[in-house]
This record gives sequence, C-alpha cells and structure tokens, in this order.
Amino acid sequence: MTVSYPVKGEHLHKRYKNQVVLNDVSLTLQEGEIYGLIGPSGAGKTTLVRILLGLEKADSGTVELFEKRPTLNAFRSLGYMAQSDALYNELSAYHNLEFFASIQGMHGKEKKQRIDEVAKAVDLDKDLKKNVSNFSGGMKRRLSLAAALVHSPRLYLLDEPTVGLDPMIRRKLWTLFHYLKGKGATIIVTTHVMDEVAQCDRVGLLSEGKIIAEGAPKELIEHYGVSSVEDIFIVNEKEAAKK
Amino acid sequence: MRNLFAMARRIIRQIVNDKRTLALLIIAPLLILTLVWYIFGAKTSEPNLAIIHYESSDYLSAFKSSDYDRMSPLQARQALADKKIDAYVDLEKPVKVHLEGSDPSRNGLAMNTIQKSMQKIQQMTIKRMKNELTGVIKAQQKGIQAQQQTLRQMSEAMQRYAPGALAAIMQTAPKTEQPKAPQAAEKVALDISYLHGNGDLNTFDAFGPAMVGIFVFLFIFMIGGVSFLRERTTGTLDRLMASPIKNYQIIWGYMLGFGTFVIIQSFVLTCYIIYVLNIYTIGHLLDVLIIVFILSFSALSLSILLSTLASNELQMFQFIPIVIVPQVFLSGLFPIDTLPGWVQAIGKLMPIHYSTEALRDIMIRGIGFSGWWFDGLILILFSIIFIVINVLVIRRARPVTD
Repeated sequence: MTVSYPVKGEHLHKRYKNQVVLNDVSLTLQEGEIYGLIGPSGAGKTTLVRILLGLEKADSGTVELFEKRPTLNAFRSLGYMAQSDALYNELSAYHNLEFFASIQGMHGKEKKQRIDEVAKAVDLDKDLKKNVSNFSGGMKRRLSLAAALVHSPRLYLLDEPTVGLDPMIRRKLWTLFHYLKGKGATIIVTTHVMDEVAQCDRVGLLSEGKIIAEGAPKELIEHYGVSSVEDIFIVNEKEAAKK
Repeated sequence: MRNLFAMARRIIRQIVNDKRTLALLIIAPLLILTLVWYIFGAKTSEPNLAIIHYESSDYLSAFKSSDYDRMSPLQARQALADKKIDAYVDLEKPVKVHLEGSDPSRNGLAMNTIQKSMQKIQQMTIKRMKNELTGVIKAQQKGIQAQQQTLRQMSEAMQRYAPGALAAIMQTAPKTEQPKAPQAAEKVALDISYLHGNGDLNTFDAFGPAMVGIFVFLFIFMIGGVSFLRERTTGTLDRLMASPIKNYQIIWGYMLGFGTFVIIQSFVLTCYIIYVLNIYTIGHLLDVLIIVFILSFSALSLSILLSTLASNELQMFQFIPIVIVPQVFLSGLFPIDTLPGWVQAIGKLMPIHYSTEALRDIMIRGIGFSGWWFDGLILILFSIIFIVINVLVIRRARPVTD
C-alpha cells in the first residue's frame, strides 16, 4: 500500500500588511497520523490551518488536499473545528448538529443515527434538546467538536480543540482522537498545551512563521538533548541570539 | 438545493426560537403603525383665538364668539404667552394679527380661521360700498330725469316755433343705448372631483403605503444584517466555508429563510392597516404583498452586503442613520419635487422610493400590474445587484473553487 498525503502545503508565505505571519512553511501529513502543531500564540498556527483549509489564500505556495488542488468536494472528507465554538446559540444542540450534517450532504436515517453517535462520543447525548445558549463553555467546545465529526471525515483540522476544558474531558477527547486515528483518520491539532504533545505521532514547532523543528516528540527530545519539547523553543531562541 | 433548504430551515428555526426577534418582526411594526395612525389620522383640532379692541369695531360680526374669545389687550397678551391661545386679532384699524408662532401647524390653523373672518370683512366692505354706490346712482338718476323733463319741454317748444331746426338736431344726435338691467350675481361654488381617492383621504392614508415599505425594509435590514454579521463573528461562516456548500447557496438560503418571515410579516402588516386601521385602499392585497416581498429582498441583500463592512452589532446599527433615515425622507413620504436635482437623484437610488411609488399606485390609485411592474422591476434589479456582489464577496474570501 502506498502512503497517501491528505494534506500537503509547500513553501507557504503569508503576510498581513507589514507583519510576516508565515515564512516559507512546508508541511506534509501522512495518512493515519496525529500531527501536533505547537508554538506560542501569535506564531501563525491558526493562519496555517486556515490556509491549509482554503479559508485564506496564501501569498505564495501551494496547498493540496488528498493530493489534489482543494475543491469543494474535498471538504466532504474534512472536519474543521475553529478556535471559536462556531455554533448557533438560538438552536438546540440537536439542530446545530442536524444543520452541519445537512450541509455536508447527509440526510434521512443515516443523519439521525450519526448525530446520536457523535453526541454520545462527546458525552452530550443527554443534552441534545437543550439550547446551546444554556450550555457551559466546556459543553459548547464538545458540541463544536461533534459538529466537526458528524459527517465522519477522513481528515480533521482541529484548532485548539481542548482549550479551556478540564483535565478529565481533555483526556476523554484525546482517547477519542486516538480512536478516530485507529479508524484511519488523519488529524492535525494545534495546541500550546505541552502535555498533549506527547500524544502526537509527530509534531511541528512553529515559531515566528517558520517551522523550526519537526518529528516524533521522543526523537526531538533526544536530538536536541532537552528534557521536553517545550525547551526546544528556548534552545532555538538562544541559538538565534548567538547569531 | 438540499444545502439551500438546510440553510433556510436553520434560519427559520433560529428566528422562531428567538422570541424577541420574532416579536420585533411581527408586533413592533403594528404598534408603531397604530401610533402613526393616531397621529396623522386624527381630525385636525380647532385653533384657539381671541380678539381685542372689538368694542367699537364695525367688523365684530365677522368674528363669531364661538371662534374668538373676547379679551382685553392685556389678557390676550398674557394668554398668548401662556400658549392658551394660538393668536389674537387686534380689530383697531388697520387690523393686526398676533401669532404665538412656535408651531407651524398651529400657525397655519390659526391663519386659516382668521383668513375666513377677513373674507367676511371684505364681503361686508363690498356690501357697504355697493349700498353707497346705489345711493349715488339713484341721485344721479333723479338728476337725469329732471334734465329729461327740461329737454322734453324744450323740444316741445322747438316743435312749436322751429320744427326744421329740431329735425336737423334729431338726425345728428347720437343714438343712446339703453343699459341692460344688471344681472343678479351668480353664486360661486366649486364642483370638486377626484381622479384618485376622495375628499376623506387623510394624511395617514397617504403615508400608509410608504410606512409599510419603510417598516418592512427597516426590520428586515436590522435582523438580516445582524444575523449574517453573527455568522461571521461567531465563526460559523468559516465552518460553512470549510464545507461543500456553494457560495450562492449561502446567500440564497438566507433569502429563502428570511423570505418566509417577510411573507408572514407583510401579510399581517398589510391586513392590519387595511382591515383594522381602515386605510384607504382600492388595490389588490396580492399586489401589495408582491411589492413588499420584492422590497424585502433588496433590504435583506443590502444588509448582508453592509454587514461585511461592519465588525460588530453596533457598527451594523450605525448604518441605520446612513441607509434608512435618508430613505425615509426621500421615499416620497414628503414631497421631493422642489428639492435640488442631486437630492432627487439620490432618492432615485433608494429602494423605498420605488416601493412607495408602487404601493401608492396600488392602494390609492388602484392601478394593477400595469402600474407597478416598472417599480417592481427596479426593486428586483437592486436585489440582483446586491446578491451578485454578496456572492462575489464570499468568493473572494474563499479561494477554493469548484
């Protein structure tokens, strides 16, 4: 079996006015891996994800989804969870999921079944009838994730999926990510929570618009001779200062 | 198509779940219209007037005591200052009018009544002049009769003593024509006929058609704009853009979802002003609904377009004084024929201008499709332009194409 690359971005540049956000970033995901995009806030993680998704245009460079130029059709196999919850507060949780499932082309019995499934997966099956405006922050976060899962995509782009969640739920969600990976899905996760880094198959360290290191967390730690992936940023900074 | 219906269904659910928005759409216009109905539909009140220096005036009979209070100059001045009367008339010659002056409509009312009294004074003066003239004429007639008597006697004498000379005089004398007896003056009365409407048409009847358009436009503009703005600020639009939904499906989903409420809103609104407020209308309800429906599309598409220029709800509402208020003033609610050309030209760029024109044609002038098709077409044109720009704006933000 040949390895396929669900996401491939090459030589991506992006600047807002005078500020360089991405400076020649290349990133390739292999099928069935969890890729962690880490870096301090403002490093360009969200911009990179949005460009990979086709929500924003890069100034230069190319993006491929499923080894093709991105098309609307490719979005059928893609689940996106933004930093904001992106839910309709006036609607019930069920109707939110129903809407997102519908625009992904699901209908009928299959849709209903799938909504129940994802609601159970994020532990919201008892709250489906409630209006989202009555949800707590954590519940909204989980519903937002469920909306990204509902059409069972092959590729997930999750922008800080666990931010603001308590450790119990966070652990539960990571179990879910591993379960999805087990079913063959590819996941790219941005985070700046360092204990989540160890759970990724590979990580990319993004700093000031550049990927400064990439690889399996353990290998990176060995290679740089540091105690945690986090320290690589500090090592990198020191080296930059020397120059 | 399925995506489009999913969008529309979601919007309908959102509005139904949001009871306040629903009330704003349906009930608020009814409340305001009722208020407007009371203000403009009420019969005009009588002005409060007074006269002074009337004791020795010949004109007193022109100022009925039911219309004018009798006051002393001091009382009148005080009453005017206290706004108890709108004006008082000083009957000392020449007649003077003192107005309170702060409210133009009260001024107009007062002047109207006073002018009627002044007409009576003129009639009185004319009658008096006529009497004087008849006296003069009668005296002259007596003189002429006396002269004729003398002449007759003279001609009798001439007949006797010089008949030849008399015949010569008679031949050369110019023939005098007898003046015709004066005819009785005809009473002048106007025979008024109305091409449209009738004499009972009040201000509200004329305002009503414009009001319907303004309210539908205003509320759809506010709710539609904020709704689409939220789609962007909460990030749901991003989620839509990371889905297979097509650009036009997003915009048309909005049109369809809100369109459903517009039908309900305009139906309730129109029925209310026709059957409850009894506005003057001779056109068809269906024609009215079609125009209102088309108008709301331009309101919705314009608000979606402007929402892309706003970054929060407050900025969205900042468009109301810029976009809505000028439309209200230039809609035809107030006459604009006398305004400078460039202001009129701006009025022609405003959707409500056309809806008012069309609704007046339908409701007051009773003209059917032949009367409103052009206005309707322009409103559709507005919508199409706005919708196309909206789709283009979304396409620009979404580099992925089909």
